[in-house]
Amino acid sequence: MAPKKDAKAAPAKKAEPAKAAAPAPEPDVVAAPPPLDLSTVKVEFTPDQQEDYKEAFGLFDRVGDAKVAYNQVADIMRALGQNPTNKEVRKVLGNPSDEDMAAKRLEFEAFLPMLQHIVNDPNKGTFDDYVEGLRVFDKEGNGTVMGAELRIVLGTLGEKMTEAEIDALMQGQEDENGSINFEAFVKHIMSI
Amino acid sequence: MECRNDGCPRTHEDDIMDIPLDDPEANKAAAKIQASFRGHMTRKRMKEDKPREEVRASAELG
Repeated sequence: MAPKKDAKAAPAKKAEPAKAAAPAPEPDVVAAPPPLDLSTVKVEFTPDQQEDYKEAFGLFDRVGDAKVAYNQVADIMRALGQNPTNKEVRKVLGNPSDEDMAAKRLEFEAFLPMLQHIVNDPNKGTFDDYVEGLRVFDKEGNGTVMGAELRIVLGTLGEKMTEAEIDALMQGQEDENGSINFEAFVKHIMSI
Repeated sequence: MECRNDGCPRTHEDDIMDIPLDDPEANKAAAKIQASFRGHMTRKRMKEDKPREEVRASAELG
């Protein structure tokens, strides 16, 4: 029997309500991803870079044992120019429990391959990703989003932000109408 | 505040926008944007803290 292929219409990915929404025959769309094997990650940073990273790492060591707490790792990576999601950081830490996040500490040598993995991520967000992500909320299609709407999105979707975080982020970004030009906003975000 | 024609009573927040709370794509896009925001804010905070450190260091040298 010939497989039925509809060559004319190329349907975009439809959001199906079914749990395993995988229209393409992809066998590895599963709930639990395989555990990350960091031993295969080759650290490619130059000695100068590693020195810089070690310095930043040291700034976060409040105990003086040349280590940092698991729950500081996300911020160190951000300080070093990366934008990992909290989920990605937890994955690279080996999916620790909440207790481990607060109690376990990590030395610099173990941190490096984790950072390298994040740096190597092919799915890293680009300027276009962020702009297109925000464009979803551009109701009038004029390049702006309402600050109020963005606040709600940031606080209810994805990795929810707290009100304090949102306030800090949005400070000075809304114009007199409460609108935000999102391309300018993203440029501003990416400039640091 | 305009209500929808179906006459279904909604809260004020529902009227503001249709937030796709269950849409995995929307959540994924939001998480990516939030990650960039958190990165930006951390770097901004560190930048603001740094000058103080440098001033202190140079004061000690002088």
